[in-house]
Amino acid sequence: MTPLFGKLFDQLDERLRLRTDARTAANKVFPSNWSFLLGEVALFSLVILVLTGTFLTFFYRPNVEAVTYAGSNPVFAGRTLPAAFESIVRLSSDVNGGLLFRRLHRGASHLFIATVVLHMLRIMLTGAFRRPREVNYFVGIGLLTLAFGAGFTGYSLPYDSLAGTGIRIAYSELLSLPLIGDRVAFWIFGGAFPTGDVIPRFFVLHVMVLPAALLGTVGLHLFIVYRQKHTQFPRMGVDGHTLVLGKPLWPLQFAESTTLFLWTGGLLAATAVLIPWSDVSLLGPYVPGEVGNNAQPDWFLFWLEGALRIFPPIEFGIPGTFIISGPFVAGVVLPGLIFTFLAAYPFIEKRVYGLEGEWHVLQNPLEIPLRAGVMLGVFSGLLILSAAATNDILSRMFGIPIEAMTWFFRVAVIVVPVVLGVGIARYSRGRLRRRGLVVPTSEAEEQQRYIAA
Amino acid sequence: MSDDHEPTRPHLRVVSEETPPPSQANDALVIGSAIIAALCGVGFAVGLVLETSIAVYGTALALGLLALGFGARRYFSDLFPDIEAVEPRHPEQDADDEPVAAIAPLERRSVLRNALIGAGGVFGVSLLAPVPSLGPAPGDELKRTDWRRGTRLVTTDGEPISAENVATGGVATVWPEGSINNEISAVILVRVGDARFRQPTNMEWIVNNELVAYSKVCTHAGCPVGLFREQDNALFCPCHQSTFDAVRGAIPTFGPTARALPQLPLGVDEEGFLIALGDFTEQVGPAYG
Repeated sequence: MTPLFGKLFDQLDERLRLRTDARTAANKVFPSNWSFLLGEVALFSLVILVLTGTFLTFFYRPNVEAVTYAGSNPVFAGRTLPAAFESIVRLSSDVNGGLLFRRLHRGASHLFIATVVLHMLRIMLTGAFRRPREVNYFVGIGLLTLAFGAGFTGYSLPYDSLAGTGIRIAYSELLSLPLIGDRVAFWIFGGAFPTGDVIPRFFVLHVMVLPAALLGTVGLHLFIVYRQKHTQFPRMGVDGHTLVLGKPLWPLQFAESTTLFLWTGGLLAATAVLIPWSDVSLLGPYVPGEVGNNAQPDWFLFWLEGALRIFPPIEFGIPGTFIISGPFVAGVVLPGLIFTFLAAYPFIEKRVYGLEGEWHVLQNPLEIPLRAGVMLGVFSGLLILSAAATNDILSRMFGIPIEAMTWFFRVAVIVVPVVLGVGIARYSRGRLRRRGLVVPTSEAEEQQRYIAA
Repeated sequence: MSDDHEPTRPHLRVVSEETPPPSQANDALVIGSAIIAALCGVGFAVGLVLETSIAVYGTALALGLLALGFGARRYFSDLFPDIEAVEPRHPEQDADDEPVAAIAPLERRSVLRNALIGAGGVFGVSLLAPVPSLGPAPGDELKRTDWRRGTRLVTTDGEPISAENVATGGVATVWPEGSINNEISAVILVRVGDARFRQPTNMEWIVNNELVAYSKVCTHAGCPVGLFREQDNALFCPCHQSTFDAVRGAIPTFGPTARALPQLPLGVDEEGFLIALGDFTEQVGPAYG
């Protein structure tokens, strides 16, 4: 601590009595592993999103009335555009530094969602969801949902042709809800698509409601980690059940986080130079009745888009009153089932293996057959669905008719997850057998491998 | 591994410690990266203010942040000993069974509490009442478009269309005159080549045995069905690849959609321009519940 910081701290300490709590925090121990940094990178991306996003809100116009663009971009010079799209073109082409902020914001949004997903994978693969961390696991699933919501509303705001198409599909998904679909769609959109209300409402969600929810939920997420202490990988000679071994928060973990934050910022700035994130001039403004080819949403929704594409044609019920349609099953029921299953997984694993007590040491998923099978099965399925979202691009690339491509994915999404899931579960059981192990039911039992009994 | 229990660290249980000796090389790296970071910072600010390109000031920003991070890492790794410490977890502590509140409620009839909780619940549900104010009731809006008997077909630029204007094997996006860009009324006009129309195409609603009009709003998820494959007269939606047969009443032949595109009753007025003979007789767009 520099002398100045020391004096500042003393002044605050005299008034707030911080010393004891600060000491406890400074001496908290954090285990080391590269995969533990994924959540941190997500947090830093969120901070960068808020900072760059604030700058963007000073220029973005949240409405779709027709205005004439009078700036320097030659593609749109003199054209009549929706105000939201025009403000993005103006920010990118006529505001000094505007393009940098746009690209940093878009790049950070991709990094945010990617690291949230990777962090979730790490939690699920290593079993950090086991008691007592089930609550934080649910908080994490909530964060994933909020992140998806922020991403979708965010890339819809420029009201370019892909954004408008995505909004139309979201509207159709709401319409597909049985019994209440038409009313719910009109409430959320303020009328029949396209209304002048949807962009202002998405703006409020993206700029106020979702960031507040995200920041509050992240705070809760971190508080729970602070209270429960971080999990750790097993280590010979260390009883991870009663001790956490690692670096103290001050100075070493603080130093690592500081470096990571600066490098995350540097990496995002580098991508902002090299990659033209969200170049809306390639897409043009949304025009009703028109959509370009290659109509895909952002990558994190590919799994949903793929499901919509390969789902077989179904529609039954009473039209206008109670309808079960393909978009409802593929776009509402299926995601609901996937999220519910992922949320329930800790309790499924507990029941299957008769787990007891608290768990603070991470496990190798290859030694837990159910987890290995479920994880590989579910996520290979999600990857295949994501690939199915590009079936038109693949069809053109490989010269395979689109019908054959679609049937390939319809079959693959069933067969591959089952084969891979069952395969790796069998491998895992064989591995346990070869090493003379079973799935431990308590951490004390598991720790026997690492400490003298 | 040195086991360190010196009383100078009473609050942290250190299990191993490595003290790095001062290193000239490391000091040079720290100072060097600090200088690079500072120069890049200035370069970023100057480049931005002087309105150079994003390649210039963006690279300066990236290099500056990376250099600053590198310098900070080198500095901290040399400033403090490398320490591994432990903290007890206190798992499975004995449950604290004492109640949280120091003051317990007195004996009172439970109907009092239940009445208030019930009222709270009723009120909670009532507070959902403003939700319908968010948007109008759907009414007829999903059941009708702006097409009426006699409405002329116009292009997006407002030009009416005569029967000869559509190229063979071509498609055109058309709107009701006066309702251009009214999304639910979008229509795709197709001029098929030598193919013959078959059931269930409504033969009274085609012109010159070669022009047919269907709703452009895909019956799957509402995207505009804009692509036409001449070799099999297939209308194709780019969003999820729903495919419709244009000479057989736009029934679905492939893809996730389950319902045909509604056919617009098509006719010709006295001046030879294409008109609608009425609104669609089937539901337009994706299914709603």
